[in-house]
Amino acid sequence: MSAYLTELTLAHFLTLGAILFSLSVAGIFLNRKNVIILLMAIELMLLAVNMNFVAFSRFHGNADGQVFVFFILTVAAAEAAIGLAILVVLFRNRNTINVAELDDLKG
Amino acid sequence: MSIQVLVFYLFGTILTLSALSVITVRNPVYAALFLVLAFFSSAAIWMLLEVEFLAITLVLVYVGAVMVLFLFVVMMLDVNLSRLREGFARYLPVGILVALVMAGELLLVIWTKGAEKLPLPPGNPEGFSNTTYLGERLYTEYLFPFEIAAVILLVAIVAAITLTHRGRSEGGRYQDPARQVQVTRDERVRIVSMPAVKDKENGA
Amino acid sequence: MTASDLFIALPELFILVMACLIMLIDLYLPENRRGMVSFISVLTLLFAGIMVMRWQAVDSSTAQYAFNGTFVRDRMADVLKVFCFIVLGAVFVYAKHYLRVFKLMCGEYYVLSLFLLLGAMVLISAASLLTVYLGLELISLSSYALVALNRDDRRGAEAAMKYFILGSLASGLLLYGMSMLYGVTGSLSLSDIAASVAIAGDNVMLVFALVFVVVGIAFKLGAVPFHMWVPDVYHGAPAAVTMLIGSVPKLAAFAMAIRLLDNGLVPMQGDWMAMLTVLAALSIIVGNLVAIAQTNLKRMLAYSTISHMGFLLLGVLAGTAQGYSAAMFYAITYAIMSTGAFAVLIMLSKSGIEAENLDDYKGLNQRNPLLAALMLMLMFSMAGIPVFVGFFAKWLVIQAILDVGLLWLAVVAVVFSVIGSFYYLRVVKLMYFDEPETTDKVTAPADFRFVLTVNGVAQLLMGIFANALIALCVASF
Repeated sequence: MSAYLTELTLAHFLTLGAILFSLSVAGIFLNRKNVIILLMAIELMLLAVNMNFVAFSRFHGNADGQVFVFFILTVAAAEAAIGLAILVVLFRNRNTINVAELDDLKG
Repeated sequence: MSIQVLVFYLFGTILTLSALSVITVRNPVYAALFLVLAFFSSAAIWMLLEVEFLAITLVLVYVGAVMVLFLFVVMMLDVNLSRLREGFARYLPVGILVALVMAGELLLVIWTKGAEKLPLPPGNPEGFSNTTYLGERLYTEYLFPFEIAAVILLVAIVAAITLTHRGRSEGGRYQDPARQVQVTRDERVRIVSMPAVKDKENGA
Repeated sequence: MTASDLFIALPELFILVMACLIMLIDLYLPENRRGMVSFISVLTLLFAGIMVMRWQAVDSSTAQYAFNGTFVRDRMADVLKVFCFIVLGAVFVYAKHYLRVFKLMCGEYYVLSLFLLLGAMVLISAASLLTVYLGLELISLSSYALVALNRDDRRGAEAAMKYFILGSLASGLLLYGMSMLYGVTGSLSLSDIAASVAIAGDNVMLVFALVFVVVGIAFKLGAVPFHMWVPDVYHGAPAAVTMLIGSVPKLAAFAMAIRLLDNGLVPMQGDWMAMLTVLAALSIIVGNLVAIAQTNLKRMLAYSTISHMGFLLLGVLAGTAQGYSAAMFYAITYAIMSTGAFAVLIMLSKSGIEAENLDDYKGLNQRNPLLAALMLMLMFSMAGIPVFVGFFAKWLVIQAILDVGLLWLAVVAVVFSVIGSFYYLRVVKLMYFDEPETTDKVTAPADFRFVLTVNGVAQLLMGIFANALIALCVASF
């Protein structure tokens, strides 16, 4: 255990990434009804992925991982814009963002 | 214990706790703010890894743009909070179980790989610019993905406008600058002729 | 980057330029001339197709890499792209009529569809994890927006929201797998990853990465148990968008499976074969059984899609060149079949109401014999009745898995495709043996009827002359 306290290793960052990833999956389970929190949990998941990429990039000493993170950040911003636009459309049509009330499509 | 390890544990703890808060707090506004805190702590941890450019970008893009958008939408939509919490307690055991199993498996994978025996390589030399390094890669090796990312942003603009823009005629009040500058004195000022009558009650 | 790089990616650049141009043209077109946009879009596809075919890879047996190994152009990419253009061209003709009838006519449909096509082309030609991800996201983001195109429709918004949440989740899982792949191999290039994985040998982290990657692929294909979004999206989206989602993205998802699993992770074939076997068997079983219970044609076609994707996975999981070409043949024929089926649905739709209930097809033969005959051919083809092209598609994938010794899976596939033919034949029965509920005339513009006729008859002709297309697919691997 003392090894974890003397020096930063790859495992430190990967563990943090794994914890974030698990939390985001749990968040998706817990907040199945609230679309906004669901979107935030997905952002957390991307943060976990980014943490992994950054740590591996440093570990391998090449830029590929950092470049990938750059693109994930770009896409996530675009994704958030579209997701929130859909959310606004949904709210205008139904006055709710409760997933449980989205039941027009069943069969 | 070096100062770096201390900083890692400090920000790692803040990050974990704020991520936990994001998925458990009642109010979406608080959740958004905790997410901001999580992004800040991540940026700090990325600084430890010497990826300065991405750390700054994370703060600028996420905190500056994405989270503001989130907050904007949360506040714009009048969401009934209590209804959204229904079922939270019911799913709690499942959620905890899923998180623990997931974390357990992932950590097992990381640790059996022997990653704890893999120290990070020495940092960059003094005067090294992470931004220059990344910029050179982006505009040479990764030019094609870079262009595609630009297209993705364009799609986001087109999509967001298509979905939410309702055209001006429906909006009601708006300004037309061209008409504003062409206005003449007669349109602005109407001179009403009033006979001068002495008001006795209020009279000075 | 050199000029030759640009030349290799010329069709992509052309589509990008035209999509931006069409966006500008649309801005200046008066409301009643919007049909122009459709015309220009079809023309764009035609020229892009000529570009791909005319300047085919100099030597089609070797792949040409461009942009520092992020982009590859090989035979498979060329063939798939040409079929993307053909199918999308038909979709555009059908969509014009639909958008007119439903008063949704807007340039955005065409612009977003062209961007979706660009994403599909990038994904088809991806040679690095980065281009796989970006191509996939370009497809996904365009389709999320398209599903919500009819902003005043409650179902559209609901479908878009569900699609968005599950799609983002799948992207997140896929990315986590990619991050592990990068961690183990230290590279994003698929060929480098294949080389490193072969050296790394048995590695628990790689297996974990593979699980996440397979989940991502299964989601995008819509394979059970990652199919939850398919029925809701097919049902909730406007028919013109459903038709689009059932065509080009399926070809791209097939390419994604080949790029990631074969080009990138071929040393782990034993592992992913086992995973895909479960997905394929479940998709075929669940898809066919649940489709029987549907009374809504759009939902029925959604579940039929799920079972078709199961069949497609059969070819991929065989892991042989024969299997890949069979899966490719399946993907292409499926895209053409499903486009035709949705076109019939669009033609029967009246202003504001889509003909999505099975009862709407009662007595179609009396109302419009030609349309009923075309639908009959499409349904027979989907059911896999001999002579029609769908039969050869099923036959080839089953042949491929028999050759790798998966007899039980072949039996499952055959049994459930027989069970599945029930719900296709039910549509035929409704059209020919039931009395019509209305006597409204079924009409559509001439170009619509022409393309639909070609599309329907193609089911028969492609079946009779299947060898040409099979040869094309075989030559791709």
